[in-house]
Amino acid sequence: MTNDGSAEVLLSTRGLGKTYGTGEGLVRAVDDVDLEVVRGEVVAIMGPSGCGKSTLLHLLGGLDRPDAGELWLGGRRIDQLTERGLAQLRRDDVGFVFQAFHLMDELTAEENVELPALLAGMSPRAARRRARQLLDQVGLADRSDHLPSALSGGQRQRVAIARALANGPQLVLADEPTGNLDSAATLEVLRLLEGLHDAGLTLVVVTHDDRIAATADRMISMRDGAFVDEVRLVGGTKGTLAGLAGLGA
Amino acid sequence: MQQEVVLAMLAKEPSSGSRLRARLNDALGPLGEAMNDGQIYVNLARLERAGLIVRQGTGAATAVGGAAVGGGAVGGAATGSAGRKVYELTATGQERVAEWLAEVSWPKPDLAEFHLKLVAASQAGLADPIGIVDAQRRELLRRLRDVERAAMAEPPGSPAGLLLEGIALRLQADLRWLEACERTWTDGRNR
Amino acid sequence: MGRIRLIWRLAMKDLRHNPAEAVLLLVAIAAASTTLTVALALHGVTDAPYAATRSATAGPDVVASVQEPTPAAPAALTELRHAPGVVASGGPYEIAMPNLVVDGHSDPVMAEGRSPAPAEVDQPKVTAGTWVRPGGVVVERSLADLLDLKVGDRVGLDQLDGGGLGGGPGGGPLRAVGPSFEVVGIAVTAALQPSPLNTFAHPSGFPEAGLVWVTRAAARQLAAADLGGGPLGYTLNLKLGDPAAAPSFVAVHEHGPVDLIAWQTIADREGLVVSIEQAVLLTGSLLLGLLALASVALLVGGRMEQQTRRVGLLKAAGATPRLVTAVLLAEQLVLALAAAAVGLVVGWLLAPLLTNPGASLVGAPGAPALDLSTIAIVVGAAVVVAALATLVPAIRAARTSTVRALADAPRPPRRARWSIAVSSRLPVPLLLGLRIASRRRRRAVLSAASVAITVGALIAVLMFRQHAGSLDTSGGLGGLYRFSGPGDPLWERGMDVMLVFTVALVVLALINAVLVTWATVQDARHVTAVERALGASPEQATLAVVVAQLLSALPGAVAGVPLGIALYAVVGRHSSGAPSAVAMVAVVVLTVLAVAGLTALPARIGARQPVVEVLASEAA
Repeated sequence: MTNDGSAEVLLSTRGLGKTYGTGEGLVRAVDDVDLEVVRGEVVAIMGPSGCGKSTLLHLLGGLDRPDAGELWLGGRRIDQLTERGLAQLRRDDVGFVFQAFHLMDELTAEENVELPALLAGMSPRAARRRARQLLDQVGLADRSDHLPSALSGGQRQRVAIARALANGPQLVLADEPTGNLDSAATLEVLRLLEGLHDAGLTLVVVTHDDRIAATADRMISMRDGAFVDEVRLVGGTKGTLAGLAGLGA
Repeated sequence: MQQEVVLAMLAKEPSSGSRLRARLNDALGPLGEAMNDGQIYVNLARLERAGLIVRQGTGAATAVGGAAVGGGAVGGAATGSAGRKVYELTATGQERVAEWLAEVSWPKPDLAEFHLKLVAASQAGLADPIGIVDAQRRELLRRLRDVERAAMAEPPGSPAGLLLEGIALRLQADLRWLEACERTWTDGRNR
Repeated sequence: MGRIRLIWRLAMKDLRHNPAEAVLLLVAIAAASTTLTVALALHGVTDAPYAATRSATAGPDVVASVQEPTPAAPAALTELRHAPGVVASGGPYEIAMPNLVVDGHSDPVMAEGRSPAPAEVDQPKVTAGTWVRPGGVVVERSLADLLDLKVGDRVGLDQLDGGGLGGGPGGGPLRAVGPSFEVVGIAVTAALQPSPLNTFAHPSGFPEAGLVWVTRAAARQLAAADLGGGPLGYTLNLKLGDPAAAPSFVAVHEHGPVDLIAWQTIADREGLVVSIEQAVLLTGSLLLGLLALASVALLVGGRMEQQTRRVGLLKAAGATPRLVTAVLLAEQLVLALAAAAVGLVVGWLLAPLLTNPGASLVGAPGAPALDLSTIAIVVGAAVVVAALATLVPAIRAARTSTVRALADAPRPPRRARWSIAVSSRLPVPLLLGLRIASRRRRRAVLSAASVAITVGALIAVLMFRQHAGSLDTSGGLGGLYRFSGPGDPLWERGMDVMLVFTVALVVLALINAVLVTWATVQDARHVTAVERALGASPEQATLAVVVAQLLSALPGAVAGVPLGIALYAVVGRHSSGAPSAVAMVAVVVLTVLAVAGLTALPARIGARQPVVEVLASEAA
């Protein structure tokens, strides 16, 4: 997935900014950010705690409003939308995945996944069907009637990812999706995201975890609210790999 | 690879060099391809010289207590060409395996070299340490990417997958350190 | 000792941490306590003043009277003076029924003829001025209050005109003013019906009229001028050797034209007003107590969930579950005690407004003394309410495993399969609302109960106002006593009581409603935030919370109607009747609207809060 001139730009921002506080206590959480994400691309945003990457993600997904700059999604300008407009955006065009999963404890996996579809007005039967299909896609078809408390961390996050896809969004935003997961669960989620990537998903993921970042098409480093570096990786060889393992010495 | 690994692999049953290779490939998965063929035979030769293993059928390895002969490959496997030499453990070899299994030494990390590289570059004005760090970071990320790709190709729970996870985690740790290096060297420059 | 001090410190610290909630709790329990205090203070409030009046005026044990006798004092009446058991007597006294004319008003009064010398039995106690003398009239104190008469005023005592008895203020054509009298004194007597009635019956059964005393000559003159000869009636006061035997004396001698009444009956009638008030207030305080209980339970239940983490810390620091429960209970008990104290003080201040024994009795119309039993009952009730509401959540919180508590895992919501299935078919706000409501069953029930009590009480009050004219208070008092309506001080007094109760009810209902809605909104915060992140609009989110609230408030309001009817039947004793349909519907609709409004406001504020803040604060 390289960015040639002919690829369609899905998400773009110009001079995006968000500040908190006033005077002495003024904090520029997001400072003059320009970003372009092409359809089908996976972009990872990394940086130390407090660098503003989560705030940026919230702005991109319409969970918060920018104080400055422009934000465009799918050709539509979205930084000036009303609350209701933002809600609709979140419903139809953007899917969100959180670090803490934020699943409803009293709903089963499929009831959780079908919820956005119900909110969008899909009939209960169609919504249930879609939920089952998505759970199958994330490999949890046999656990569709489990409550979140009966699922492992990795499984819960996969349910959350399925939920984010319920209304077929153009863009999925993930905020530290593996932050609460152990190593094995991280691999589960990685596997899933790679699969979705191959299927054409556009994903912007904020992460601490180099493992996630390393598999992205582009890696952006952020510090103090601004972008400071961008890396586009080209693969190494397995020979080097074995050396890391202690072989071939 | 250490000789002790080959020695320990023979603890299950006497094997030929090619059989050992196959078993190692299974355990290492995609990384097995990078392994040097000759290395195994070199190790086998060394071990034989050290008296830790013997070729089967030469009579010097009789009456080995216990498990070494469990595989039932006595006698019959002694036939064949040079590559089909079948080796088995001696008593000393068995002791050595037991010792090795109980050892808790860990591979030495090699951070000092990189650290000194940065210091030297900075002091001599030869290169920007931050540039060095960035370049190294990129390389590690590339490797991490390959590891992840390989890990995802493995079925869940495979031993090779476990190895790959270990590599990934170490790379991750090193990357963390590199980020810290970058922060510190940048702050140092800004001061 | 150290443990108690520790418990105290922890409890105080926690209360300071949440001052708003502590205040709400305090007000809720205090409102109920106040009502209870007033109710208890009414108990026996006129017993003492009546006894005082009796002793001050040498009140009679039996009053005998005859209407429309022959010109001479009837022998039947006179014979009673020598009946067995009688040790002293006063009278017979002549009685005339003129109109009292003052300031253009004409009111029928009963003029009793007395001599200036003190009588042996029933010598009214003069509280202002002097006793009867020629040309002067002594007015009974409650009548004087009513007509605003003072010593030195001049009044006319006119004979009845052709219009007959019962001319009320400003009624009936006036004849030329008869003999003019000067008000020379104001007095109280124990031989009279209670005030503040402006119309009341002389024990004799004479038509309802106020009481004045004149000289015997003046009485005969007034009577003669009216009927052309002889007084209209005679009354005789008797003192018995055994005052307690008065009712049996009355039973024995009640025959023929003579009417007898025992002093106990008078005393009871004196207390009639108050006993009705007391019944209302006692029932009222029970209702308020229930409402307060619901409020406390809601508040405490909500805070317990927030407290689980603190509980975990306490336990991790080595506190046993018992210690933790003790701390939690201690907080609530401190509040309950403080609230009881507030209730006692406010009730003590309010009580005189309702318990004024009235102008017709001797005794300071001041604050009734709070006796130990009242204090004990009020404090006990407050403590019981707080303990009941707190006990279950406190024990549960204390039993939560330490690990879970530290992980701050709140009580998981119930899973109601049916509601999840049903709600999927509903439009979005109803979908979300139903799901929110079914997450917490206990809260929904408490909420419905509170609304039911509020509506029930309001309907009972409305019915009381509506049916005041037909309230049956016979209950063994020997005669129908009717509240006639506005203008009748008895009715007015009843309405005052209702007012006090209604104010307390509204205050408590408001607190309760605020707590319920606040609790619902709080609990729904996380759910609402997630739903908004998934694409529910702020309007849908607000509406959902309101719907959730209404799902319990509406059934509660509807259930309140039969509850109110039942309450009225219980308090009004033999009364029955249905509230007007308009009133019923109005109360239900207004209450539901009020609940909806009280929910919509915090819900809307919550729905406008940035989603990320809420999610971050609730993240595990």
